[in-house]
Amino acid sequence: MSQNRHEQEQQILGRVKRDEFIGRAGELERLVSHANQKESSGLLVLAKPFAGLSELLRQTFDSVFPEETVVPIYFELPSGQTTVVSAAIEFLNTFLLQYVAHRRREPDLCHASLTLNDLQELAPTTDSEWISALVAAYNQHRFDDDDQALVRFCLNAVRRVPGDVRPFVMFNATELGNYDDDQVPFVSEIVRALAATRSPYVLAGLRREVLDAVQSAHADLRSLVLMKLEALGVEDSRALVGSIARRHEVPTNEEARDLLTQQLEGSPYFITTFIQAAADKRLALDSYFACERLYVDELMGGKVYRQLAAELENIAPEPNTRSALIRVLCEAVPEGKRTVSAVSWRQRLKLSGVVTEKLLRLLHVHELINWNGETITLDGGSTVWRDFLRARFRLDALREPRALVVAELMAAALRRAPQTVARYFRRANSLSLLELLAQFNTQTVPRKLFQFDEFAALYKGATQEEIAVGLETDADHFRLPQVFHAASGISFSSALRSFGEESTVVAHAFAGATYTEPDEVVWLVAKAESKLAANVELVEKWFGLLEGVARQSGFVRTQLWLISNEGFSAEACELLRARGAFGSSRQQLDLLSNLLSPAGVTLATATDEDEFSLVIPMGEDNELLAALTVEQLARRLEFTPEAINQIKTAVVEACINAAEHSLSPDRKIYQRFRVESDKLVITISSRGVLPPGVGEEGNNTPNADEHLTGTRRGWGLKLIKTLMDEVEFERVDEGTRLRMTKYLRRTQTAKKQQ
Amino acid sequence: MGESTKANIRSHCVGTTAVVYASDYLNKLTGERIEHECRKQLDSGARALVIDFSDTELVNSIGVSILLGIIDVAEKNGAVVVFSDVNNDTVQLFEMLGLMRHVVLAKNEQEAISNLSGQSQAMGH
Repeated sequence: MSQNRHEQEQQILGRVKRDEFIGRAGELERLVSHANQKESSGLLVLAKPFAGLSELLRQTFDSVFPEETVVPIYFELPSGQTTVVSAAIEFLNTFLLQYVAHRRREPDLCHASLTLNDLQELAPTTDSEWISALVAAYNQHRFDDDDQALVRFCLNAVRRVPGDVRPFVMFNATELGNYDDDQVPFVSEIVRALAATRSPYVLAGLRREVLDAVQSAHADLRSLVLMKLEALGVEDSRALVGSIARRHEVPTNEEARDLLTQQLEGSPYFITTFIQAAADKRLALDSYFACERLYVDELMGGKVYRQLAAELENIAPEPNTRSALIRVLCEAVPEGKRTVSAVSWRQRLKLSGVVTEKLLRLLHVHELINWNGETITLDGGSTVWRDFLRARFRLDALREPRALVVAELMAAALRRAPQTVARYFRRANSLSLLELLAQFNTQTVPRKLFQFDEFAALYKGATQEEIAVGLETDADHFRLPQVFHAASGISFSSALRSFGEESTVVAHAFAGATYTEPDEVVWLVAKAESKLAANVELVEKWFGLLEGVARQSGFVRTQLWLISNEGFSAEACELLRARGAFGSSRQQLDLLSNLLSPAGVTLATATDEDEFSLVIPMGEDNELLAALTVEQLARRLEFTPEAINQIKTAVVEACINAAEHSLSPDRKIYQRFRVESDKLVITISSRGVLPPGVGEEGNNTPNADEHLTGTRRGWGLKLIKTLMDEVEFERVDEGTRLRMTKYLRRTQTAKKQQ
Repeated sequence: MGESTKANIRSHCVGTTAVVYASDYLNKLTGERIEHECRKQLDSGARALVIDFSDTELVNSIGVSILLGIIDVAEKNGAVVVFSDVNNDTVQLFEMLGLMRHVVLAKNEQEAISNLSGQSQAMGH
């Protein structure tokens, strides 16, 4: 797309500006490129529900509109209760309206409400002849009794466009499920009409429906190109949340953006609707509390409620059936995944076979259940849908008081919020392990990266540079396998959940360059967050779990790889060696990651002249930068040298603590120093998940005897409490924030005032 | 390889006493280097360790825990550990963490060595 084209583009059908249309650049480019093809070909867009299909097609329309010879036509099947004939007439009208708008270069016409006669009059001279003929023919057909002929006539109107102009029809059939007409085979008519346009076209719809529809119309699937439209990825979702919030001037923060990204599951529709609702109510979305309060409001009566209620009404228009459906869906929901027979549903819903089948098909198409023709699995639907359904069930079926439902929904949402974000962080953490395994690809690496004892003997206390030089000259190499499938260990066995949700990986691989059975090997990888070196008992326990999975899954040849942050005890290393297992520390893992795939200090702007912010990457010695900064600030306040040293030590400990305890997504430590007349307030936080127990009050007295008996870590917090005057943990949305205060002593204050 | 990676730690021996110099910031990295050097000296027959803190401005809790590990190892080897030239702030930190119960302080390296040689003579070595 040229720069010039971009400049010419304007917002016609798009509901958001182009620069705010986030996360779909690839799909948009593909559609525009398809529009410019010279030959007739169909593109089938298979969309996940609420994935933003409509907006993508609208944006495509706006992108193609400036073209001279390609006329974009966008049609969306109406969602209300309407007939096949009405929808077909609507198509004809939309086609002519957008065609005339393009030919007259008047994009505003696309929004006008015009009759066919109006359009006939507005048509440019070059097109007036065929448009007049079309309208005249339509007027003849509309009074015939043959509905199918009228539908076919309307849908095939595009074929009448003269050869020098190429219409590009984008047919959004998301609502196709509502057009179940025995008299007119609507799907077949649509597919046939599109295939006959002699120019590129797009047929888009829900992924569980549109492909079946094309097949049922006996279309040649080989001539169609498929494009999938999934939910947005995490980064795009976050960017979308940020962008819409900025546009609507809704204040947000990192924590809220993380939550919304995860809770709304990357759905552009829900994200947009939700933030618009915040803007309408002039609410900030700057905490989990604020987000969940609005979420519950939206579920109980906002735009989200109306959308989901309308969808439910479309699926089950008859009120009694709808109530029974909610009951059936909800009574199964709390038990999670459960398979029931379609027959039992039919009995419970008290419906005929045909009606039940239609209902199940619609639920399946909208991905609210999984139905294979015989059995139903009730684990479908988004979190939003399940919450909505649960609320409706309690209100309508159980007749519970609204206030009670709201309160409990809010409590459940607040309880779930940190878990939702924590799950994402853990997943992100494990993704790096999955990605790492995927990069193995028969590369050779120093064997010592998999043998903790040998690595520690050589490199304990060495700098990164020294280690890098050492590994580079290390001749003892090991060829990694080629991993062809890697998945979370929990997918294989729920027993591995004891490592944490996302801390195990099972990777199927070939050890050599040839794909032969003897070379096939399964790597079982487990990573544990621990501040201490793993001992024999722990390693034995890991072996038990991983070997159990191997036996249960029938893996013939396996390679165990255990990863412990602080490595392994000498006895544990011997055990690993005896069992032929690999053991690595976090440091070895990071080095391996750097080898397989080829950050600085940020001073944030403070909002107050007495407040300073510093953002440092977690890593070797960076806490010293924080210590030096706080030293300068403490000097300004004329703290004694002794107090300054205490503050510095406390800051260093807080930074170490932040780095050690959190599964931080950005690996950064955020610090805020507030200078007041009689005190210095320091706040240190990091984004991430805190392990249980961190931040809780405990014994405040450090004790070296603990150290001599083996507990040599975990003194940081106790030390901070001893060194500073006030230390408190502030509960924040992501983890915990440590706030510590040091007061100027009275004598010092008096001296300063003199 | 083992020697060169820890080259930044200064040390020397006076008889059976090894003097190891701590760097300006005692953290995990520098602590492990000191630990490695101390273990090496003990393996080579040192009967006393003097860890000199004259350059040390800041110590963190991980550094302290490593020092405790060194004391532990030294005790098992029958060796004495003396900390020399420790500044007041660091002494205070050691006191807070209870480290002072397990270690002898000396004003400087000379005092540490002379105290140790006095002890040694008194014990008839």
